[in-house]
Parts: sequence; C-alpha cells; structure tokens
Amino acid sequence: MTVNPLSWADPDPVAPALRLVPDLPLPPDPLGADVLPPEASLDQEVLVRRVVPLTHDVVQVVLEPTRPGGVAFTPGQYLTLGVEVDGRHVERCYTISSPPTRPHLLSLTVKRVPDGEVSTYLHDRVRPGDRLQVTGPLGGFSVAEHPSRRYLLLSAGSGVTPTLATLRTMADLAELEATGSALDVVVVHSARTPDDLVARAEVEALAATHPGLRVHWVCETDGAPDRSGPWSGPRGRLTADLLRAFAPDVADREVFTCGPPGYMAAARLLLAEVGADPARCHEESFVLGTAGAPAAAAAAAAAAAQGAAEGAAPAASSRADAAGTEGEVEGHLLAAPAPSAPAPVATSVTFARSGCEVACPAGTTVLAAAEQAGVRLPSSCAEGMCGTCKSTLLSGRVEMKHAGGIRPREIAQDKFLPCCSTPDGDIVVDA
Amino acid sequence: MTTTPSRPTTSAPASVPSQDGSGSTTRAAGRVGPLVGSAAAEARAHLVEVLDARQQGRSLPGAAYTDADLHELDLALLWQRQWIFVGTVAEVPEPGDYVTVELGTASVLVLRDDDEEVRAFRNVCRHRGARLVEEPKGSVGNIVCGYHRWTYATDGRLIHAPQLAPVEDGGVDPACLSLRTVHLREVAGLLFVCLAPEPPDDLDTLSRTVAPYLAPHALGRTKVAAQVDLVEAGNWKLTMENNRECYHCEGHADLVCTFFPTWGLADHEVPPRLRAAHDRYLLAEEGLHLACEERGMPYAPVEDLVEPPLGFRIQREALDGHGESFSRDGSRLVQRLLGELDEARLGRLTLHAQPNLWCHAMADHVVTFAVLPLGVDRTLVRTTWLVHEDAVEGVDYDVDSLTEVWRHTNEEDAAFVGLTQAGVADPAYEPGPYSVAERQVDDFVSWYVARMREEVSR
Ligand code: FES
Ligand code: FES
Ligand SMILES: [Fe+2]
Repeated sequence: MTVNPLSWADPDPVAPALRLVPDLPLPPDPLGADVLPPEASLDQEVLVRRVVPLTHDVVQVVLEPTRPGGVAFTPGQYLTLGVEVDGRHVERCYTISSPPTRPHLLSLTVKRVPDGEVSTYLHDRVRPGDRLQVTGPLGGFSVAEHPSRRYLLLSAGSGVTPTLATLRTMADLAELEATGSALDVVVVHSARTPDDLVARAEVEALAATHPGLRVHWVCETDGAPDRSGPWSGPRGRLTADLLRAFAPDVADREVFTCGPPGYMAAARLLLAEVGADPARCHEESFVLGTAGAPAAAAAAAAAAAQGAAEGAAPAASSRADAAGTEGEVEGHLLAAPAPSAPAPVATSVTFARSGCEVACPAGTTVLAAAEQAGVRLPSSCAEGMCGTCKSTLLSGRVEMKHAGGIRPREIAQDKFLPCCSTPDGDIVVDA
Repeated sequence: MTTTPSRPTTSAPASVPSQDGSGSTTRAAGRVGPLVGSAAAEARAHLVEVLDARQQGRSLPGAAYTDADLHELDLALLWQRQWIFVGTVAEVPEPGDYVTVELGTASVLVLRDDDEEVRAFRNVCRHRGARLVEEPKGSVGNIVCGYHRWTYATDGRLIHAPQLAPVEDGGVDPACLSLRTVHLREVAGLLFVCLAPEPPDDLDTLSRTVAPYLAPHALGRTKVAAQVDLVEAGNWKLTMENNRECYHCEGHADLVCTFFPTWGLADHEVPPRLRAAHDRYLLAEEGLHLACEERGMPYAPVEDLVEPPLGFRIQREALDGHGESFSRDGSRLVQRLLGELDEARLGRLTLHAQPNLWCHAMADHVVTFAVLPLGVDRTLVRTTWLVHEDAVEGVDYDVDSLTEVWRHTNEEDAAFVGLTQAGVADPAYEPGPYSVAERQVDDFVSWYVARMREEVSR
C-alpha cells in the first residue's frame, strides 16, 4: 500500500500548541496507565511451580505461563482453570491474586471446599511440574476500571483475593506513597477467625510501609489456641458504626465489595446507611458451587433483589474460587436483615462449565446474569428470535418468552434461550 | 435407527475425459454455474446436434451422458425448470423441520412453517448471499443466517437484521428482504418443487391421477424409518434408465424373491424359462385386483411417460411370495400397517415420475427414491423408508431387515450404472437397440429429448 504523503503532512513545528487548562482537577489516570500493557488473552497451558499453604485451608498455587513474554491483565480479573481430575476435564474460575506487575507467574489463592472437586485436587494432588490449562482474563471488577484517588475495599472470606491483587499492584507501582498524587486506600476484611486471615502478614507489612494504605480486620471469633489464639481486634459482624469509623469519608470513595452473596447483600445496605454513593459502589460475589450453598445464595439474592428494588444495587456477579465458609459467613459476620417475606425471590444461576455462579435478581434474564458474571454466551437478537444463545438447562426451571427461536422439541430436550428466560428457582446452565 | 448418511460432496464434477470427439468436455473444467455468452450458444448448438442424432429405440449418444456443458444445460433447462421431487412430508414432520436440496448450483430449503404448511425458499441469505442452511436436513426455530445472524421467520419474512438502518433513516424496508420463495406442491405426501417463475401446469394432472392410489398409504401419517444416500458413478439419465427396466433383474438376488421377473413383458413376450414365474404373477395379480376392488383402491396402470413435462406411470402390482412386502419371502416387514389398511397382501403401488422419482408403496411401508444430479457423472440416489408414525422400532419393525432388499438392490444398480457410464464414455460406444422389456427406457429417453428440444428452443 502506498500512502499519499500529502495526507500525512507533519504538523507545523512552530505553530503554538493549543492547550486546554482545566479549572477542575483532572481525574486520575487508571491504575497502571502507561505502565502496564493492555489486557491480553492468556489462554495457554501453564506449569505448576509451587503450592504454598497460606492458612489451615487455603493454598497459593503459583503457575508459570508456557508462552514467553508474560501475561497482561488488570488486578481483580479472574481466569478459568481447567484441570483433568480422574480423566475428566473440570473448569473453575479463580481470581488472579498475583499482580500484573509480576507478569511471569500467576498466583491463585484457593480455599479447600469440602467435596470440591477442583479445590481438593489443587490442595492434595497437584504437584510442581503438572500442566494445567488457563483461559482469560475475565471480568471487569477492577480498580483500574474506576480511576479514583480514594478507595474502600470491602471483602469477606475468599473475597479477599481481588483485594490482594489490587494492593500488590498498587504497592509495586508505588501508588501508596505519601506524596500528593498517591492513592488513599482503606481495606476492611471480614473473616470467621484470625486463623482465616489470608496473607495477613504480607498485607500488614504493606500497610506498615505504605502510608496510603490502612487495613482493618474484623473477626467473628477467636482463633484456635494452637494457631492465632484470641482475637483482640473488632469482633463480630461488620456494622455501620465500624464502617463509619474506618472510612468516615466513604461518600468520597470508590467502593469495591467482594464476598459471598449474603455478605454482599448486607454490605450493600450498610453502605447505603453510611452514605456511600451507589454509583461508585462495585461488587462481585463469591458463591460456593457445592452442596449447602444454594440456601445462602438464595437468601443473599433475596436481599440483592431488595437492594435492586431500592435502585441502589449494581447487579451482582460471582466466581467460584471461593470457599467453604460462605455458608457460615451468611448471618454470622454481617448484620444481614432478614428479607421481608414478599420480596421478589431472586435466584442463583450456575454456569457448570466455568463453575461460575451468579445471583440473578428477579426480572433479570439468564443472558444478562451471564454477562455480569463474565460468562460469555453467544447472542444476537436478545429477543428470543435468532436462537444464537441456545443453551442447555442442566437443572431447575426457567420462564421463557421466546419469539420462535426455539422449538418445543428442543425445549423437551432441556434447551432454552437465556436471552429471554428468567430463572424460576435456582438453575444450572451448561455453559 | 435412522441411517444418516454423510452429505454427498457436490463439488466440481469429476472431469470425464472427452471421448466423443467433440472435445467439449474439458471446456467446462473448473467452471461452476451456468454457461454464458458464446460458450452457451455453442453448448446449445451441441445439444441440438446430440438430440438430432438420437435414434428412436436406442439409447442416447455418448455426449449426452459425458459432456459437462450438456450437463449444465440439463440443469438449466430441466432441473431448474421442471417439477422436481424433493422428499416427503414425513421428512419435515414438525414446524421448523427442513431438508435442503441442491439442483446444480441452486439450493432449495424445504421446511414446515409455523402454520404446519410446507414451504420452499431459495437457500440464499438476502443480506450478502451466504448459504442460509448448510445441513441436508435438520430443524430450526426461525431461519438464521450463520454469517451476520439475519433472522427470517418460517414464512420467509426478515424479522431480525442487527444494525440494519431503519426505514426512517433511509434504510431498506425489511419487507423487501423476505426470502425468495420457490414453488412447492404436495401430492398425497410427496413434495415437488419448481424453480421456474411459472411452473409447468401438469402437476395438477399428476396429482388428480395419483393421489387416489397413494391415499390409502397415508403418507401424512408416516415417519422416516431410515434414509440412505448413495452416490452412483454415472449420469442421472443412466440412473433413471436403469430403473425403467427389469431386463437386468437377474442381477438382483434379493429383489427377485418378490419382484416378478416378467415385469414389463406382454404375455406373448415371456420367454419359456420364465413361464412358471409369469403364471404365478398372473395368479397373484388376480388376487390383488380382487382385494383392491373390495376396498375401492385403484390399481390399473396409468401411464403418460413421453408427452408431459412431468412424465409419469402408476400401477399397483402383485409381489411374489407372500405378496406383502420387499422381504426375502414377501412377508410384511412392519407389523403396523399404514393408514387404516386391514390387509397386508396388497402388493406394491409403484409410481414413477420424470425426471427424478420412483417409489413403492406397500401395505406396511413406503420406499421413495429421489434422484439428484451431483455432476455429469455423479448422481445421488436418496432412498427413504417410511413406516406408520406409531410403528415402534425393534417391536414393529427392524431397520436392517426393512432396508435390506433395497440397500442391496441399490448397490447392485449403482454398479450397473457405473459400468454403463464407463462404457458410454468409451470411444467404441454407439447407442444400441432396446429390448421389448425396455420400452419404458425408450419412453424416458424420448421424453428427455422432447423436453430438451422444447426448452432449448425457447
Ligand atoms: S440471542 Fe437471539 S434468541 Fe437469544
Ligand atoms: S449474509 Fe446472511 S446475514 Fe449476512
Ligand atoms: Fe435394478
């Protein structure tokens, strides 16, 4: 191709540059702008390098990409991990807990889920040198997507993982210093006991050496005598008073909440109570994809629906790296109000292949829920006409209002159109 | 079990060396689609020569079977203008079910719409022309183009075209972008399409005549028990010619168990060695006629093979052995009889229609054969076995036994056709005389010559 040189005339070097002088402070650049490469597909085989115990039931799995050049993502994103368990290919979503500033290794923080196929495998069986498959990065739950000078990072249980990636990135980029343009970050993390605080020493060391970071742990109860022992910090559930004390300026902060659905629902109400700006609240929930979880998910979803009704709730999404404690988190760590009886019941939607689960507020289509969970389903018309989104329902029921995009025979074979279906109770989708 | 054959390849016709001295065979190599300009005029002139050269009572000159340009004219003048058999209603039982049929480079989508009507469309997207439906058969909700997801209702209306400018903003009215329709007619469960803008009107005659014969078999209440696609290495006319005579039936070990070998012969033409078989035939015929008369079922032959564009022949005839079906001993193959039939011994109702159909309807099942040209020397024979919709596989019938006779017979016929194709492409070939048992072959060839003469002179 030849280029017409006239169309590429150099700008006149002596012409005075027009400068815009804003009279308002410019919004800060997104975290890592101009430093970190833009997110790129990290789909590849990875080598297991180490499996490090972090707590009594959490390990850190360190993976080495096999493609040279490192990986690029934003802190808070997750990936899909595929493993062969007893000859079967199983996939789960895990947050990347390492920062993108360390692009040559990927760390996942994995809690043992009783009977959890993948977490048990990663805890007990995986060995350095094993090969696993990753795809991603996925999700947009990232401080990089919402530039601000002040952040409040709320988390519970395994919801700490995006916080870890975020803090590590900020520290590596020297954004938590005492200078004028640095960030001001408050972390409030809830756990059942101090034994369950993941990467506690590392986070506390970061706080000690970075003036821009303040960390608050809230534990439900004491640790085991042979582990952390008694807990002297804030006890019980997160309350509005605690939140006001930790972040009196919450209205000026960009808030990221991550945890099991019950925690999220309660946190949403607390944030509303202490005057957080709903437009600046972002959330992602972690749901346990094994037996026992649906109850928690449903209760959380009911609360979520209530929040939605008040117009304050960004739709929740989730991933499955979580954790056995979610069931316990529900109702213990938080002052979650019992949902009022006639509140529209929202439901849990699980995407079996990715292991992602999402709370689907009443009236939300399965396609919309999938999008919020970062599960990509093909779609075109979004009106039940074209059949592009056709998927299989593995369990549960949906209400579908299609426009010819599917046939009764297909429906009889458990096919449905996520774009025009709302769950009728909890469902599992083959996607 | 439904035998699902893989789709026959419809890529460029295998090139057949030109052995007839015309040198025209290779001219078409690599070209797909109709001839244009002077090449078209040349091909037409060649066609007229070949038609003129044909002698009554003899087969066609070699070029008619081997010349790629003449084959293009077969497609353009015959296959894309006449009524073509494409399948039965049982192949599209429910709304959204479809079959696609390729007639040369033209693809036709036959599907049952939401009002339970069977319709046919050009299988071409109105956007940028992508082939709409790729599979030979299947089921759709609406009809969705795989390229940019333009979506058409089953009546052909465009109902979804992502990001197409609305009419208010100067965009094209979607009402002008419906799928192009193709004429489709159902005759007692048999489906015919015609690509011509004004189809020949003789389908009505066929329909009036053959519908009463087919009605008792209730094709509308059948299901496909099996379907087999077989590709014969021969020109489509050889496939049709082979089917029009039983002169070669000694070569069909399975078929001769039930097919009387004197088929096509008048009484005085029966050779002494077949006398006994012929007597059995006459006896069986008498029994059959009685059974038919009791039930008000027509059986007499009706034949109009040469004159109409849709030349046809229909007759109910007796089968040997038990006289019920195409099994080794002539006994029924499906316990559940078709429609409301109360008698299994009803022989075979045979319909033949030109250019591309024959079928046999017995009391227990129907077997249809659709012939579709894939290239000058490649022809698809699609055989479909239909049984009562309530017949249960493994209980009322067994697919292997049901299909055995015609699977074997078709393969034998494919071999005969392949041999003939090789022979007519040989420089030594010259059209030979038909025997008395091949009168219908002669009729078919005469029909072909008449059709092509008429079309080429338009
Ligand atoms: S996206 Fe078209 S039917 Fe769901
Ligand atoms: S060609 Fe069919 S939608 Fe574009
Ligand atoms: Fe034969």
